[in-house]
Amino acid sequence: MSVRPRRLIIPPVILSLALVLGAQEADLAERLFRSGERAYGARSHAEALETWNQLLQQAPTSPFAAQALLRMARHFAEVEQKPEAALPLLDRIKAEHMATPWAAEALLMRGRLLASRAAKPSDLREAVAEFHRMVDLFPDHVAVPEARLQLGLAAVRQTQWDRALVHLADVLRLDPATPIAAQAWLQMAECLDWMGDLEGCLRLLQGLRSAHPERPEAAEAAWRLAVRVKHRLIRPPFRSTGPWPAGRQKWLKTPTLLGTGADGGLFIYQSDLDRAFRLTGSELAASGGTAKDARALVVGPGHQAWLLTRTGVVKGEGEVWPLPEGASNPVGACRDAWGQLWVADGKVGTLTLLSPEGQPRSLPSPAAVALAGLPSGGAVLASDANRSLLFLDAVGQTRFTVPYGQGLPKAFTSVVALCSDPVGHVAALVDGAFEGVVLWGPDGTLLRHATLESLGLKGRFRAIALDREGGVILADRSNDLLIRLD
Amino acid sequence: MRRTLCLLFCLLLAFGGALGAQEPALRETFQEAKALWATQGDRDGATARFEQVQAALQPQVQTLSPEGIRMLCETYNWLAVLDDRNPARKARVAGHLDAILDLDPEFEIDRNLSNTRLQTAFDGIRNQKLARITLTLQPEGGVLTVDGKARPAGSVPRFLQPGLRTLAYAKPGYETVAQEVELALKVPKPLAFELRRTSSTVTIHTIPSGVEVLLDGKPVGTTQGMASGADRPLAEKVGVPVEQMSEGFVVAGLTEGRHLLELRAPCHRPRRLELDASFSIPFADHVLEPAKLELSQGTLTVRSTVPGELLLDGKLMGTVPVQDLAVCAGPHQLQVRYPAGGFTQAIEVPEGQAVVVAARPKPRMAVLGPVDEAAFTGRDRFLQLLGSLDSRLTQVAVLPPQAGETPEQAEARLKAAGGAELLLQVHPVRTATAHEIELVVSTLQGEQERFRVKPLEQDPFGDLVARMNQVPREVRPHLGMVLLDVPGQAGPWVLSVGPEAQAAGVEPRKPIVEVGGQPVASVAEFQARLQQGGDVVEFRQAAGGPVKALPLRQAPLELPVASAAFCYPLVLADLRLRLKGAAGEEAGRLRLWQALALMHFRRYDKALEVLREARAGAARGVSQGTYDYYAGLCLQRLGQTYGPEATQAYRQALQFPHATLFGPEGPRVAPLAQRALDDLNP
Repeated sequence: MSVRPRRLIIPPVILSLALVLGAQEADLAERLFRSGERAYGARSHAEALETWNQLLQQAPTSPFAAQALLRMARHFAEVEQKPEAALPLLDRIKAEHMATPWAAEALLMRGRLLASRAAKPSDLREAVAEFHRMVDLFPDHVAVPEARLQLGLAAVRQTQWDRALVHLADVLRLDPATPIAAQAWLQMAECLDWMGDLEGCLRLLQGLRSAHPERPEAAEAAWRLAVRVKHRLIRPPFRSTGPWPAGRQKWLKTPTLLGTGADGGLFIYQSDLDRAFRLTGSELAASGGTAKDARALVVGPGHQAWLLTRTGVVKGEGEVWPLPEGASNPVGACRDAWGQLWVADGKVGTLTLLSPEGQPRSLPSPAAVALAGLPSGGAVLASDANRSLLFLDAVGQTRFTVPYGQGLPKAFTSVVALCSDPVGHVAALVDGAFEGVVLWGPDGTLLRHATLESLGLKGRFRAIALDREGGVILADRSNDLLIRLD
Repeated sequence: MRRTLCLLFCLLLAFGGALGAQEPALRETFQEAKALWATQGDRDGATARFEQVQAALQPQVQTLSPEGIRMLCETYNWLAVLDDRNPARKARVAGHLDAILDLDPEFEIDRNLSNTRLQTAFDGIRNQKLARITLTLQPEGGVLTVDGKARPAGSVPRFLQPGLRTLAYAKPGYETVAQEVELALKVPKPLAFELRRTSSTVTIHTIPSGVEVLLDGKPVGTTQGMASGADRPLAEKVGVPVEQMSEGFVVAGLTEGRHLLELRAPCHRPRRLELDASFSIPFADHVLEPAKLELSQGTLTVRSTVPGELLLDGKLMGTVPVQDLAVCAGPHQLQVRYPAGGFTQAIEVPEGQAVVVAARPKPRMAVLGPVDEAAFTGRDRFLQLLGSLDSRLTQVAVLPPQAGETPEQAEARLKAAGGAELLLQVHPVRTATAHEIELVVSTLQGEQERFRVKPLEQDPFGDLVARMNQVPREVRPHLGMVLLDVPGQAGPWVLSVGPEAQAAGVEPRKPIVEVGGQPVASVAEFQARLQQGGDVVEFRQAAGGPVKALPLRQAPLELPVASAAFCYPLVLADLRLRLKGAAGEEAGRLRLWQALALMHFRRYDKALEVLREARAGAARGVSQGTYDYYAGLCLQRLGQTYGPEATQAYRQALQFPHATLFGPEGPRVAPLAQRALDDLNP
């Protein structure tokens, strides 16, 4: 006797119903997504988010759900500046919609958000993993060059110049004509300089200018190239062009600190006014909070002046980060690529690193008189006690030291003020047998110097800054003016 | 009797001469038949042969020429005469005579052959079968049609089938007249056609024949044939042999007033003849002086390093390279067929001028699809645009689909015969709201790119055309020194110099102020001067200073691996073609590019194969070190098992410290190779 296997028979009506319902759900998902898009386009963000949330509930597995999650994440990350709200949405795309093309963008965005929150090299690991994942899983995606650029930038922040070079070269190899390539090009040039290949750096900067003359990166390349050539290759003698800007005399109230922003803008702390100002053209605009007897000026995010005082860092009006107990004589400060504030002390042998949240961490260091950040991730610290400049790496370790007066006709004994520029040049106002201005390269090579006497300058110069034209700005507190050296 | 037979024989020979257009064997049989009877009196033999002719021609009666009809009628006439003398076959005579009248009612039997009885019988049958008509045609020389069928020129019918007939008479310059007439047996019908003059006519002969004639801008026909001996005086008037002149072409429709006659022929200068009012007032027929059209030619030189067949407007013109080939002036479609690849270009040859074309094998792209069954909105317009692709694409020769062949069959044929280097497949794809079209461009080796287009968009092929026409830059002029734009300097500032520039005395860290005697302010200006070409570039580093000269080199660049500007299957197909005729440095460069194009498709194994063959003599810029670096990169991408080989390749790259990526001023290979080595061997 044969036994026929029992088959599950689905009535055709039920099958048709299931198919119709499936199609209806897909249709509904698309309509909800489009409705959300329309609302978002009309700037009704709340309505858009509500509609997309509805879509996520009604059709959580639809490809439109992935798109909705991505739009929502982008909104939180870019419009509301709430990465913490965006990350769970991106996690959900990773978990539930990895097979959709939207996952590529989600991985990239997640990596970018994680990288922007990283406060130390190890924090970048997850971000780097996301960028790699994106490149590996979606090799044909249009955003692959962006992911490779992010990998390069992450390596730059980790001071892995050669690794950065590999990723950035990948971007150029894909297509050197894109805007992303222009960014990679600029970063490559900087990496080469940090790796000691000045000629390679200059070649790339010029190449960037020729290939993308209309891009902002080309303008950036132009001044970076000009400053490097001037300071390191041509090295003309310093020459005073007199009061600056435009010969203005007695226009300040005791300028004692200078600083430069990421865009090259000059900030001046006027001691009599207890606050810093940003100089735009020949106009001054107050920036940051008020602080008496500020000891260092740092330009923070959003071109806001931060002032270092004996007790803390004034980030804005009434917004003060207290320094840790024991920091008795803070003398200099700078911000690094991780957003940490480095504070040098003149008495205690420590360097205090304040995290973006204000959490302090101490590193051993000689007593300092001044501190300036370096674009390669570390800082340069002037120590009169040691009679040397210490070039520190990103973790505060001394890479090399430059003895005071090395290469100069006479030695100096103290550093009055210290500054750096975004390409790694370090300048100091010095006092002692040699009283004047000294400029070093990123590797500590003495590049240019001049005594105040030889420059025909008299006054009480208390601050120094480097501009983007290869000039040096000096602040004269007794004459209430600025002098520019060219 | 013998005299009669001789006379008949001569007549027969004369008739035989008129059968030249017929099948020679049949004509011979016909003549044999006549000769058998005329010379030997062999009736049976003659009858047998005439019957052969009759059997051969009768089935083809609908398609026979007038000459063939005449021969058949004569055959029946002979058969009637022969059968009439043979009692056994006498009954067939009436049938033969009847057949003659079916073939040609106007045919008259030969009174010399046929006896009176036969003639009477023939007339009797005709009266029983046909109606007699007497036509008067005024003016003469027109064309008469009976029931829509034109009668031969000069032939006026006397007998027609009884019943209702439609007769029409036409002559250029006259109004056509048609009449319906009821014809009855044994009732002769007189009928007159008198045409009314409506316009003038001009008759024109052209040299050469085959000239298109336009009256007042409208084409009215083409001259043809060869003028007869009677037209010799006309030909002599213009000093050309009559054989070169066409038959007279009659242009009618010259109404009162002025008219313009235009004559056009390929490869000839067109002529315009203005006819004043005297040609049309009063209406009359005119004969114009023969019009000679002058030749209009230029010369064509096609350069090509690879031999191939040259076709002009589809006509084989010889092989390339070719120098100063005389061709008709005007637009042409030039095509070169190469053993692999093809070349097409639309050219315009001005009269009396030389055109030079540099041809090279370009990839041939065969269009496959869409299949006939694929219906979508806008299909006709889309297909029209697809058909015009050839005229828009400058870097490929487009092969249109062959009628009746499916895309699969075409692909199989092309792959088997190597008839194309690229395929363009066209697939309609149904979406939720409308159709989209997927265009797939692929090499025969399988590397492909897909483009989604909308059939209703303005230019569905715009992106594809732009990409396929974009030619990546392979080299750039270079003098072996690095120049910078430095503020405050009088011109491009020399950062560093290569050995050649050093030997020429170029001083680093000084500006260049003059190139070719002209001031130069920036690197961009300097590069622009180099783009103008030349073998040697002369420049100064100080006003009034010594002139320095350097040979202008072409520095290799790299192919971007994923640029949206290019169509990579085309780039690859083109490189494969070009590599076949390349040697030395060029071959090395083409191999590198081929490898980079393969890397676009992530075919690292194939890229590696190509790179292993690549050799560069130079050690600076994109050179041997670059090739070795990419070989290492490909090996690394093939997986960890190739780690030792990748290490070796990177070590090899490190032997070339001046090798760069991307171009002569790109980053050096060495730090990248070193990083890769460190990663492979931590």
